[in-house]
Amino acid sequence: MNTQTPVNLQGNHACALGAIAAGCTFYAGYPITPSSEIAEHMARELPKVGGVFIQMEDEIASMAAVTGASMGGARAMTATSGPGFSLKQENLGLAAMMEAPCVVVDVMRGGPSTGMPTRPSQSDVMQARWGSHGDRPVIAIAPASVPEVYAETIRAFSLAERLRTPVILLVDEVIGHLVETVTLHEPDEAEKGARKWAEGSREGFLPYAITEDGIPPMPRPGDGYRAHATGLTHGENGFPTQKPEEVARVMNRLLGKIEKHRDIIDKWECVDCEDAEILVVAIGISARAARAAVREARSRGIPAGLFRPITLWPFPEEAAKRAAANARTVIVPEMNAGQLVLEVERVLGCGRNVRPVNRIDGEPVAPAEILQAIEEAKA
Amino acid sequence: MSTRQTEIRLSGSGGQGLILSARILAECFLRQGRKVAQSQSYEPTSRGGLSRADVVVSDDIPDYPLATALDYLVVLDQCAVEASRDMIRDDALVLVDAERVTEPLKGRFRTVSLPFIARARALGNERVANIVALATLIELGDLLPEGLLEEVVRARAPRRYLELNLDALAAGRELARRERADAQ
Repeated sequence: MNTQTPVNLQGNHACALGAIAAGCTFYAGYPITPSSEIAEHMARELPKVGGVFIQMEDEIASMAAVTGASMGGARAMTATSGPGFSLKQENLGLAAMMEAPCVVVDVMRGGPSTGMPTRPSQSDVMQARWGSHGDRPVIAIAPASVPEVYAETIRAFSLAERLRTPVILLVDEVIGHLVETVTLHEPDEAEKGARKWAEGSREGFLPYAITEDGIPPMPRPGDGYRAHATGLTHGENGFPTQKPEEVARVMNRLLGKIEKHRDIIDKWECVDCEDAEILVVAIGISARAARAAVREARSRGIPAGLFRPITLWPFPEEAAKRAAANARTVIVPEMNAGQLVLEVERVLGCGRNVRPVNRIDGEPVAPAEILQAIEEAKA
Repeated sequence: MSTRQTEIRLSGSGGQGLILSARILAECFLRQGRKVAQSQSYEPTSRGGLSRADVVVSDDIPDYPLATALDYLVVLDQCAVEASRDMIRDDALVLVDAERVTEPLKGRFRTVSLPFIARARALGNERVANIVALATLIELGDLLPEGLLEEVVRARAPRRYLELNLDALAAGRELARRERADAQ
């Protein structure tokens, strides 16, 4: 869809349109509330652009199919919610280990377990970071509006392809089901991002070569490169190894590729942070509530500001520290029992009072609740 | 500087077509060049349980897209009364169904009880009560230029239900005119 005219669009629909605009050619999924509209739109639209949609037998299989399609050269994605995200974790770890570019959308609902299917939550913040075992590279993006869901889905594909890694799009139910008036733009090739394919000699090709930028060129199936991919810790040749010095080298490369590319990964928004003595840190719908609260606080003469990580993992800590330069109090509103606050305490806790504002009742944090916390901090 | 946003809620029981009505209303405001944020809350059943759909209308993308202080409220089932009780503005217009809302909200706001569901039933299908109520709301609240709602309904309604929907619009407008005449 390329339109200069504004349209009313749902967050989940915007995600599907963003994926197709980003060149997604493969979707495997198992519909789950509140993410099902993504599968619905992909099922309808993907075949029209020559793509493949498969409704798999379960969440585990859909993540496996996405990983396989990615290794086969496709730009691949799936979408789920908390219970399905839990099931996907093992294969998500496999995708990280095999360095299979893919996009996994988690539209968060109330948990634990099957929890509250139609109620919003932000309780997968830590699952996105630590849900799969082992030290693994993680990128997670948390959009806060319908236009941002569209744009960040495109960026998720770009980061996944360029960095050869799974990228998680962490959306809360409110944003996933929210309809907003948006104007979409078609991304150019640079915005879509390209995978680094293997070129040149097939002789002595190393599918997991340690390269300057930390990203091994990927053998395109059919191009004749000899390649092996496995979830076992592997050397540059792709075959399993447990030699300590080799393991250290390849694992440092795998984890280091994220740190090495923070310039394109990190993304955040600051609202009135420069002189903010009270800083609110929030994502998704909680950040929208925080923006309203900060605006109201400013109108009452309270120096409040908002720091909103758009890329949630890795946490944009240098930017957060700059935003909090003048802050004495940091308020962290979120729809869970306290997850983002742990990272904020780690990064900003030294010398500052960090206060959580939590809701676990299936209702979003209201602007008034954040405003109250700001006023208490001022007093 | 933008004017204050307008907050509208359509509420009732699951299956009454409230989200669809909100989408139609949002489409009307879009055609007016306004910015809308439309949200909803419902239970994991295909019919029954509290269901509500909100439309927040403004000139710019709002900071917070969800309703916090309602200017207009439609209630088509008693089960939806409680959810909105504490967020109705004093100058709000509240429309309730005469049959299904037995204990309407009381407050400084204006409450009007009208037979939306009975009128839809008389048209042959209770399920167009949402469109009857929407037409009444727009007319009584003076929310949109005349004809715009019909334009959007014509564009969105399945062909075999178009006549029924147009009849529902007429019934809703009629209810509004009669209410207005009674009030004078």
